[in-house]
Amino acid sequence: MSFFSTTNRRTTPLLLAGCILLPGLLSMSTPTSFAEDGGNLYNTAVDIRMGERYFERQCSRCHGFDAKGNDEVGAPDLTGRLRNASTDVGIFNVIRGGVPGTAMLPVAEDVPDPTVWQVVAYLDSLRYDPSSVVLDGDAGRGASLFTGKGECASCHMVDGRGGRLGPDLSRIGEDHTPEDLLLAMTNPNEEVAPRWWTLRVTGTDGVQRQGYRMGEDSFTLRIMDDEENLWHFRKNQIESYERIEESTMPSYEGELSDGELDDLVAYMFSLRREVLPQ
Amino acid sequence: MKRIISSVFISSIVLSSAQLFAQEDQFSTVITPAFSPITWERLVDARNEPENWLMYSGTLDSQRYSLLDQINVDNVDQLEMKWAYQIPVIDRAETVPLVVDGIMFITEAPSNVVAVDARTGREYWRYDHDMPDDLRICCGRNNRGVAILGETLFMSTLDAHLVAIDARTGNLLWDTEVARHDAGYSKTAAPLIVKDKVVTGIAGAEFGIRGFIDAYDPETGERIWRTYTIPGPGEFGNDTWSDDSWRTGGSSTWITGSYDADLNQIYWGTGNPGPDWNGDVRLGDNLYSDSVLSLNGDTGAIEWYFQFTPHDVHDYDSIQVPILADLEISGEQVPAMMWANRNGFYYTLNRATGEFLFGKPFATVTWAEGLDPVTGAPIRVPGMAPTYEGIMVSPPIVGATNWYSPGYSQDTELFYVTSFDGEQEFFKRDEDYEEGERFTGGGGRYTQPMDAYHSSIRAINPKTAEIEWEFPIMPRSPAGITTTAGGLVFTGSADGYFFALDAESGRELWNVSLGARVHAAPMTFSVDGEQYVTIASGNVVYTFGLRD
Repeated sequence: MSFFSTTNRRTTPLLLAGCILLPGLLSMSTPTSFAEDGGNLYNTAVDIRMGERYFERQCSRCHGFDAKGNDEVGAPDLTGRLRNASTDVGIFNVIRGGVPGTAMLPVAEDVPDPTVWQVVAYLDSLRYDPSSVVLDGDAGRGASLFTGKGECASCHMVDGRGGRLGPDLSRIGEDHTPEDLLLAMTNPNEEVAPRWWTLRVTGTDGVQRQGYRMGEDSFTLRIMDDEENLWHFRKNQIESYERIEESTMPSYEGELSDGELDDLVAYMFSLRREVLPQ
Repeated sequence: MKRIISSVFISSIVLSSAQLFAQEDQFSTVITPAFSPITWERLVDARNEPENWLMYSGTLDSQRYSLLDQINVDNVDQLEMKWAYQIPVIDRAETVPLVVDGIMFITEAPSNVVAVDARTGREYWRYDHDMPDDLRICCGRNNRGVAILGETLFMSTLDAHLVAIDARTGNLLWDTEVARHDAGYSKTAAPLIVKDKVVTGIAGAEFGIRGFIDAYDPETGERIWRTYTIPGPGEFGNDTWSDDSWRTGGSSTWITGSYDADLNQIYWGTGNPGPDWNGDVRLGDNLYSDSVLSLNGDTGAIEWYFQFTPHDVHDYDSIQVPILADLEISGEQVPAMMWANRNGFYYTLNRATGEFLFGKPFATVTWAEGLDPVTGAPIRVPGMAPTYEGIMVSPPIVGATNWYSPGYSQDTELFYVTSFDGEQEFFKRDEDYEEGERFTGGGGRYTQPMDAYHSSIRAINPKTAEIEWEFPIMPRSPAGITTTAGGLVFTGSADGYFFALDAESGRELWNVSLGARVHAAPMTFSVDGEQYVTIASGNVVYTFGLRD
């Protein structure tokens, strides 16, 4: 068996599971004849529904029926933060004018502005203003639980401190609702990003190594074992490998009280990097 | 249509080429490639000049099988990169370049062509197509290649034009509007030369177009015939569309077909009926959507058809390249056509008659339980049509395979295809047709991460439809396949590998990580006795050869 390992841990990229925002909305130059910031007047429930219908028809082929994007065509996930179109006006202008030099074409000229605003309203409805969310828990107590009783920090890193055996949670509040966060703690196997699956690799000498699935492609595997060693394998130079598509995180259901879980949710939901409007 | 008169100063090109090469030590003795005009006879006999790659699928039978064997199972692990050409447009490249006597023609997104020296990747000329800003395109700014006849290249453009370009200079010779781009028509596939005509298809089934296959005069750009892929009133098959749905029924023709010179038949696949996922507004079988059509090579008249998926509601385009070969089946020599369909079934047909011979699933299929052994019609599983709430079906919208080219080896007599085992929730929506607007009637959604699904290269015995071997790769790979007399299968993967397998066994022989998705098919050629193999990955075209 031939493989390589490294102990240079500082080179290890830790990825935030499920946080992939492609830059399709980043480079729009905004013609002044487009929308200027007067707010979206088309944001009633009916407008959102109309915007959804338009989106499903005109936009979903690239961006997905659930607006979560499509890596194959480079269409970005629109359900999370749109980094350089953080305002309704910015989103309107991207839809109205397209992104030059890409497959993001402008909507037809005869599509009225209100329709575009309805799409903006629909996209807004897929997100929310986190500052408007009121939670029962206390973020300060949650922070203490995170590093203390909950032992979360033994696996998870926040702002550069903590463990490496789980996703970095420094910005977890940006792309997860409080409901998502609670579910992740009480039922970690509900949705496990492939990055956090486990690979069990058996070498031609019969030796097994297993670890987090840091990378798998058609010809190679890369894992980090429990001792945080990085291993690289060529598939044609091992005996076999097995995927375990489950989370290694324990469930906190019953391990913490409801109040403690609320506190942890409040803490993790507070982990956001605020983006200033452009 | 407009015609632009160009002057070709061949002597000056030769001179400038000589000056260029004079500055490069490696080729200082080379003056200029011997670029000779491509006659129809050369195209018919393309397999016997394997140093060139003269059309999208290599040969008119579209086997993508090259007689070159300098690179073979014994030395393919000695391949190294010879050059890379960076396409100056950030978009995925689906191009299959042509090579003519040492000159390579590469198409770029959205609809440009560049001619480079095939040994160095350095540019002779480029053609940038003027593009309007109100395109109506379904699925990306794609272009898959050019055709050549004489000294003229022919290219489809995203704004639904067909252009003729001087192969020595890149000058535009003529520019014909095939259909109105603002009504949802577009063009992405390489044309096919059939005798003295340029045969070409159309895209736009997601915009309620009415599909067709056209033939054009290579000298003037004038249309010679048009065969609609949806019959009009009074024509056979029009009654397979309820009400006026035939007018907006899609059935596009967005991948290159094949041709049998002995039978004088053109074979061309057709796309999905529209709207894609709501069949309520187009009751009936919806001929000739999701079919292969046999057209008379002179007139374009339909000689036979075989519909793979009648009344499709899952977007299972039959936009695959037909592979033609004569096979001995049950002791008889059969003029066969091999077809792995987006709907998950593999078919062997008699290409002279369109008769269904046999077929089987080659990937996960849940929408049908099998094929009628006599007619080849799918035996549907009830309740698998899209719903308002969503229903899980395999194959997913992208299909068990799709437009990317399969391959066939004359040595192994195996058919090779990139396959995908996936599933998707299909949704139905109600929509009215509006010209130039999308008209799809629904959509689809994956419920698991892509890594939870499976892609593989599958080798199918076309005499039995049995899978002989498979080589797993990461999903979802959209690369085509090329085979060689060196015993090799070349292809690529979604995770950016270009690799070679043993055509007989599927054994991995060589791979290189190119780092970006492979959305194209490889091709191979030789110059000065050296064999090369070329693949596009991301927006770069790479060429490999044996280590010096």
